[in-house]
Amino acid sequence: MLEQFLLGLGVVMQPEVLVYAFAGVFIGQVIGVLPGIGAITAISLLLPVTFHLDATTSIIMLAGIYYGSQYGGSIASILLNLPGTPSSVVTCLEGYPLARSGRAGMALFTAALSSFLGGMIGVAIVVLAAIPMTTIALKFGAPEYTMLVVLGLMAASMVGTGSHLRALAMVLVGVALGLVGADATTGYYRYVAMPELADGISLVSLAMGLFGVSEVIRNAAARAQSKVQPQIRMRDIFPSRSEARTLPGPILRGAGIGSFFGALPGTGAAIASFMAYAVEKRFSRVPKRFGTGHLPGLAAPESSNNAAAQTGFIPTLTLGVPGDAVMALMIGALILNGIIPGPRLMVDQPTLFWGVIASFFVGNIILLLINIPLIRLWVLMLRVPYQKLYPVIVIMICVGVYSHRTSVIDVVLTLVFGILGYLMKNYRFEPAPVLLGFVLGPLLEDNFRRAMLIYRGDFTIFVTRPICTVLFTCTVLLIAFSIYSSISQRRRMAAAATDGPASTP
Amino acid sequence: MKRNLLTALPLVLALALPAAAQDSYPDRSVRIVHGFGAGGNADTVSRILAEAMTEGLGQPVVVESRPGAGGTVASGYVANADADGYTLQLMVGGHTVAAGLYNSLPYDSLNDFTFLSIIGQFPFFIAARAGEYDSLEAVIAAATADPGSIRIGHSGVGSTQHLTGELLDLMTDADFLHVPYAGGAAAATAVMGGEVDILIDTGTAIFGQAAAGVFDVLAVTAAERWPDNPDVPTVSETVAPGFNVVSWTGLGAPDGLPDNVVEVLTAEIARVMALDDVRGRIAALGASPVGSSSAEFQELVETQIKTWTEVIETAGVERR
Repeated sequence: MLEQFLLGLGVVMQPEVLVYAFAGVFIGQVIGVLPGIGAITAISLLLPVTFHLDATTSIIMLAGIYYGSQYGGSIASILLNLPGTPSSVVTCLEGYPLARSGRAGMALFTAALSSFLGGMIGVAIVVLAAIPMTTIALKFGAPEYTMLVVLGLMAASMVGTGSHLRALAMVLVGVALGLVGADATTGYYRYVAMPELADGISLVSLAMGLFGVSEVIRNAAARAQSKVQPQIRMRDIFPSRSEARTLPGPILRGAGIGSFFGALPGTGAAIASFMAYAVEKRFSRVPKRFGTGHLPGLAAPESSNNAAAQTGFIPTLTLGVPGDAVMALMIGALILNGIIPGPRLMVDQPTLFWGVIASFFVGNIILLLINIPLIRLWVLMLRVPYQKLYPVIVIMICVGVYSHRTSVIDVVLTLVFGILGYLMKNYRFEPAPVLLGFVLGPLLEDNFRRAMLIYRGDFTIFVTRPICTVLFTCTVLLIAFSIYSSISQRRRMAAAATDGPASTP
Repeated sequence: MKRNLLTALPLVLALALPAAAQDSYPDRSVRIVHGFGAGGNADTVSRILAEAMTEGLGQPVVVESRPGAGGTVASGYVANADADGYTLQLMVGGHTVAAGLYNSLPYDSLNDFTFLSIIGQFPFFIAARAGEYDSLEAVIAAATADPGSIRIGHSGVGSTQHLTGELLDLMTDADFLHVPYAGGAAAATAVMGGEVDILIDTGTAIFGQAAAGVFDVLAVTAAERWPDNPDVPTVSETVAPGFNVVSWTGLGAPDGLPDNVVEVLTAEIARVMALDDVRGRIAALGASPVGSSSAEFQELVETQIKTWTEVIETAGVERR
């Protein structure tokens, strides 16, 4: 394994290839920062360029755009509550409060470091465990995905920061929005008021609206004046020793969760980041601090989405089957170069296979080196007065959302979701559970109905198939744990109330 | 010498102008609109054509993606665009499926378009996990003996791959269970994992797997054996005589294109389709680069609209 990896490293270290690897991650970084414009737009724009490059260099560059955008995505989330990509929505939850309390530099540093470590763990898993991961992924059929999403919804019902009932209501709003479009099982149109909605509401426009646009409206309504940040010194960006000690756990767990979801076709970085955050919050000793700028809540999803971005290449590289739309573009680039993707890629094209994997390793190092010095520059952006910054942001969001599907309806919807998000915040409804419901709802419906079709309505499959049994047990344990912790918490509160009534004012 | 040229200039202009007025097409940039995502098959073919046609037409040819509702958003847009030759459409086989699948299209799939030329044609291949079935006959026999036991994974309800499976169902005694997936890649993964048994998809999706011994290729859906894969028997010669499904990409425009514009365009497409570079790149996408007359294209569209409308009605696929 190591020998082949070194072979790959030899490929990447050729100056010409290295230039394209750098170009890829740099472009990724930039488009990740820009709201709405995602890796898919950038890669499809650059696809014609790859007509004139060899396959290895093409894929190295395009892949760099993809995982590079995961780094950039967190920057606007932290500084402006504006997720650059759907997978950095969760980053807003802790990153933005940190920035508002004057610790933007440290949030950016933690995000960059967690991204790097998550990415590197993801690369290690691609190198060491690509084949076993593929075997597991192939064992996931419709019943397994159904149970996985059930577990995910259970775990994530705490993603919001407010009351559970409100969070649940918002998950359902998300599920309802996810219903719009063609029914995947029958093709029947649901709530398709205009043909542009036939393929459903765009995740990008929902995320940009609920987070980015609503924040703009809120700031405009509050006539907020930006606090002038003091000059950031290099040492201010490092977490204190006691803060740093809380990070390894979340980063490792995040990377583990991300690596798993990334390798499963049909899920991906966005779901992975939600799950990592939910797990941290669910098992934290201080769940109340989530949502107020809690570093572990920032580190886990950042590590998770970068790990997922790397392991997302596993099905593409080992099976030749793309896990999502971005991977489909990579496969397209291979086909244009006359390489028919498939399981033989590793054997027939070892320099391509291992060159691409080694480029992940090099790319992540480049990204870390780009990101750390840039932190001071990014923080300076907060000194731009809001009233000058926000028109630019709104325009960028509109351009970004439009570029995603070249649809004007998407832009209009983004603005509508922005107003909705503003009203929601005013009435203390959280936007994050809406996105979670929007992503997981259709996945649940699609897989549940497919499972019912294939197994002819037999419900026992959700418990009896081996992987389902494991997932079902986890779900039951999770519910039991929640009930137990809420009872013991209530008991403690009751005990506190009876023990010391005098101390409570 | 210089002065002579200058004095001659008005005369030259006077002679040239009437001709220019007629033959000035194109005097600005031409758009190729298509209805699918950037980077997909339709987009790639559009870009290959745009690059080559930019040289021949002497004006920039740009690609515009208007995705949505299985390509019908783009078709509706093109049908209502000015018929001046500055808006073209890269059409795909799905155009003929949509004619039968949608209840109320804002355009007439046949009469609202000028069909200029077919660009590429490609069949679908029927594959199973390696070692499971010797032949398509064996699959049909199994699906006839135990109705619903053999599952075909397809890339989405109303996709050409789905309807090809339904057509196989209709033209044989077999009774398949058709299982929808979110795209061909997910269906291929499901066949590998054993959740479904049969995959119907393009050669690019199947031959990489076949080479690695993951899939057995059982049949091709074209009427004749496909020249690139002469060992693969046709559905027609094995289980369903007359079975013929070939999908395509082609270049069209709004109805009512002026004759001189049609001439310029068809000549340019013919020139481009003879270039080795263009042929090679279309072939790399798994299609046979054909080119055709306008009439041949129109006839293909007419026949396929009829076939798919019948399949959709008979198989009971939900219209939308």
